[in-house]
This record gives sequence, structure tokens and C-alpha cells, in this order.
Amino acid sequence: MSANQSNLKTSLPSAHAASNQVASQRRAPPKPAMSRQQKKPSSSKSASDPRHLAIALHHAHRIQAQKDTEALILDRILDLVTYPTSPSADPASPSAQDAQAFKAALLPFQPADYDNLILERNIEGLCGYGLCPREHRKEDSHGTFRIKWGSKGSGPGGRGREMNIVPREKLEMWCSDECAERALYIRVQLAEEPVWERRADDMRGKSLILLEEGRANQQGKDKMRSPPSLREVTGQLDNLHMENAPGPSNLEGGMSRLSVRDNSRDLAMERGDSNPALQTGRVQVQIQENDNLMSDNVTAPEMRPGDDKGGSIEGYVPQEF
Amino acid sequence: MDEDYSSGSVDADREMTRLWRTWRTVFEMLQDRGYEVTEEEVQIGLDEFRQKYADPMGYPDRNKMKIQARPTEAMQLKYTALKTASNPDPQPDCGTIYVEFCPDSSGVGTKQVRTFNHFVDENNFHTGVFITQTPISPSAVRLLSGVPGRICEHFQEQDLLVNITRHELVPKHVLLSPEEKTRLLQRYRLKESQLPRIQVSDPVARYLGLRRGQVVKIIRKSETAGRYASYRWVI
Repeated sequence: MSANQSNLKTSLPSAHAASNQVASQRRAPPKPAMSRQQKKPSSSKSASDPRHLAIALHHAHRIQAQKDTEALILDRILDLVTYPTSPSADPASPSAQDAQAFKAALLPFQPADYDNLILERNIEGLCGYGLCPREHRKEDSHGTFRIKWGSKGSGPGGRGREMNIVPREKLEMWCSDECAERALYIRVQLAEEPVWERRADDMRGKSLILLEEGRANQQGKDKMRSPPSLREVTGQLDNLHMENAPGPSNLEGGMSRLSVRDNSRDLAMERGDSNPALQTGRVQVQIQENDNLMSDNVTAPEMRPGDDKGGSIEGYVPQEF
Repeated sequence: MDEDYSSGSVDADREMTRLWRTWRTVFEMLQDRGYEVTEEEVQIGLDEFRQKYADPMGYPDRNKMKIQARPTEAMQLKYTALKTASNPDPQPDCGTIYVEFCPDSSGVGTKQVRTFNHFVDENNFHTGVFITQTPISPSAVRLLSGVPGRICEHFQEQDLLVNITRHELVPKHVLLSPEEKTRLLQRYRLKESQLPRIQVSDPVARYLGLRRGQVVKIIRKSETAGRYASYRWVI
């Protein structure tokens, strides 16, 4: 009994530390009375089976981690509401410091958290994009929807203008269309799953890039890439022609260098697969060919008894009438 | 009296009446929860309310509308945990409540909630009730419920326009004290987890300010049994 008692006392605080912490964070006063009533039965059980304690602790730690992350995200939203640091900052070319801090703060966000941030900034009267110091626009008239016309030649079939009907709230989130584009460019990069479920090797949402950086990269790549890739391609073609028997591996390499690489990367970007592990393909396809399946002695079909009447159907011989 | 002014005053009058109804529901709520409020405060008439809380334009002045109330002894008794070996003299887990009406007519976010939280914390109120005209943002809700050691609740004005517990289809909910709860569990030889449940977010649970782990007794009229009492565990 005494051993049991001491066991109880040692197991109690650790067993309930996590849940009590959660409780004290949320609402400290009501919890102690309740948890005291609960402690006795659960701890006597844990004394009988240490596995239960371990399982309970495991789950308690997970819940605690989840709550900590939520608190962290809330803190970051509160921080980001006051961004950027200088009121004269230009959203098109933010200061390196601000951009760095903004991107770092957004890493654990889900798109829904990001929406909360935008909402919070709008309540403060600011543009929804975190690096824009301007006020969000306010439409004077009271209609619920607005018609937006696209640029010339953007309509169906390349003629006329594209027309979009947009809810007013969506328009009023931003100071301008450019900021809307910038903010949504960030939003699509955020990972859908919450931080506590992300895997360590998941690259998605780990490195965010601003729209301006993305464009600069794109242009830089295009300039860098196009001339050498052309030369590369012609070189490969020459190789193909000159070599008598191009091996499959060589051919494969040539093919990938030819054109597939550029497209697939763009497509992957569009899908949102920035994970390099996924770029080679999701499934390893291994083709195994069977040789000599046909045996040598092939004979013509022969008549069997009963075949003249149609034969049997899986062993059942239809009766004649 | 010119046309503009009269239309404005009609508008103001409507808002005033709505707010008066909300105000009365808040007092009924405090009374039902067991706080010390006088009968005159609960039964305040529209004219008196208008005199007290209207600004010169006839619109309600929400900055003036702040309520503080202390718990009655009966309520303190209900919120006192049972004596145990480790805690021979338990303190009641309730205290002064503070109610504030948010004057901002739209877009209530973390800023206002943070000020409110700060005020509640600074003046050492046990419970704070924040009443707004519009819904508040999700992060503001999270911020409001995240005050360590204090309980902050949020209502919208329109939620309190009528007192839902006075509706004929809403049965009477009575909170059990810890002692009554243990007696109930002993009587029926139950664990608390074997009781039916009620959510903390249930409208009546929010009205009564119920907390996780408490047990509420629900008394209904029954055709066969006259009165039928059931018990629910707040989760």
C-alpha cells in the first residue's frame, strides 16, 4: 500500500502535467477542482499498467504541442498586423529585413491562418498584403458585387475583354490589384496541412518567395537557360545520329534534357509540387518483360465430344428440347 | 422639426430600444448566474435607460455602459470545490464579473479584444463579458479565450435581444454544486463520464457561463411523470 501510495504521488504530477498546463493556460480556476476528482481513478489504473500512462502522456504532449503552435500563430498574426515597419515602405520592393521577417513568420501558417491575418489587417484599415503600408480601398456605392474588366484581348477567343463578377468584400481587402496578386501568390505557397502534421522532409511551405522574387527568378532563368539548352539539344541530336546504337540510358538522358525538364518543372510548380523528390515521378515504374511465353508446339483446336451441339458452358451441358 | 432630424431620431430610437432589451437580458443573465443585482436594475424601464445612456443625439452611448457585479453567497457556495486532504479550505472559484459593450459598430478585431483583456486583467476581475454589435474575427476569439487565469466570454448584441431561457420550449437548467454532483454520482453509482453531455458552446450553457466538468440539472415538464429531471455533464 505504501509503495503504491508513493507510486501514485510520483506518477500524478507527470501524468497530469501536460493536461494541467493546458488547463491553466486556458482557464486556471475551474480546473483544479475537477482534475483532483479525476486523478484518483486514473492514477490507480496507471499504476497497474504503465502503458496507459505512456499513451496518455503521448497524447497529452501532442495536444500541448498543437496548442503551443496555435498560440505561436496567433502571436505572429498580431505581429504581422503592424507590418511593414516603416509607413513609407513600397510593397513592390520591400526592405530586405521586412521581407525576410515576413516570410519567416509565415512558415507555420495554413491558408486559413493567412486569411485571418488578412481579415485582421483589414479591420485595422490596412491593405491585406503584409508588406503594404497603404490603406485598403473602400468602395463608395453599396452594391454587393463589382464587374471587373480584364485587359484588351483577354476575352474568349482572344477577342474583347474578360469580365469577372467579384464580391465587393474581396475587392476591398486590398489597396490595389497588384497587392492582391502579391498576397495571393504567397497564399498558394502555404502548406494545407497544419504544422504539427507536416513531415520534416516536406519542402512545401518551407521556403516562400514573394511575387517580385518569383518573377525575377523566372526571368533570370529564362535568360540563363534558353541559349545553352538550345545548344545542348542540338548537341544531343548530333550524338543521337552519330552513335550507332544509342543505349536506353543515354536516350533517356537526352530526352529529359531535350524538353521534358522545363515543362515538368513548370507543371510541378502549377500543381504545387516543389518537393524535388517528387519531380522524378511519384512511383518507380519497373518493367519486367517475360520472354518466350509461347511454347513451340502450337496446334490447331480440335473437336471434342459434344462440341457439335455447342459444347458445355463451364461444365453445364445445355439440354435439348 | 425638419425631416432629416426626425428620420435620424427614428433610427436612434430603434437602436436604443434594441440595446435596452439587450441590457435587460444581460441583467437577467447576471441574476440567473447568481450575481448580486437589484430588482430595479433588472426591471429598468426604457425611459430611464434612455435618460441614463443616451447621448445628445439620442443614440446609445456604449462607452457609458459598463457593469460590475459581485457573486452572491449562494453562488460562491456553488463554485466552491469539495474539501480534500490536500486542500482543506477551498476558495470559491468565482469573483467579480465585468461586462463591457464595445462601441465600434463594425470590424471588431484583436485590437479591441486586447484592450478589453488588459482592462480585465488590470482590475483583477474574475470574469469578463465582451458584447459587440458584429461578429469578432477568429483570431480575436482565440485571443479572448486565451487569458490565463481569467474567463472572458463574448456575446453579440443580437444574441441577447431576447432571453432564450424564458422561452416556453427551453427547460429549466440548474447548475449543481460539487457536493450535489458527488451525491448524484453516488446515488446512481455513476462515473461522471457516464452522464449525458452538454457542450460548453450550447446557447444555454453560454448563457449560464457553465464550465467544463460541471453538471447541470435539466427539469422538463413531462406528460406522464409531471416533472422529469435529467442531468448533463458539461464538456
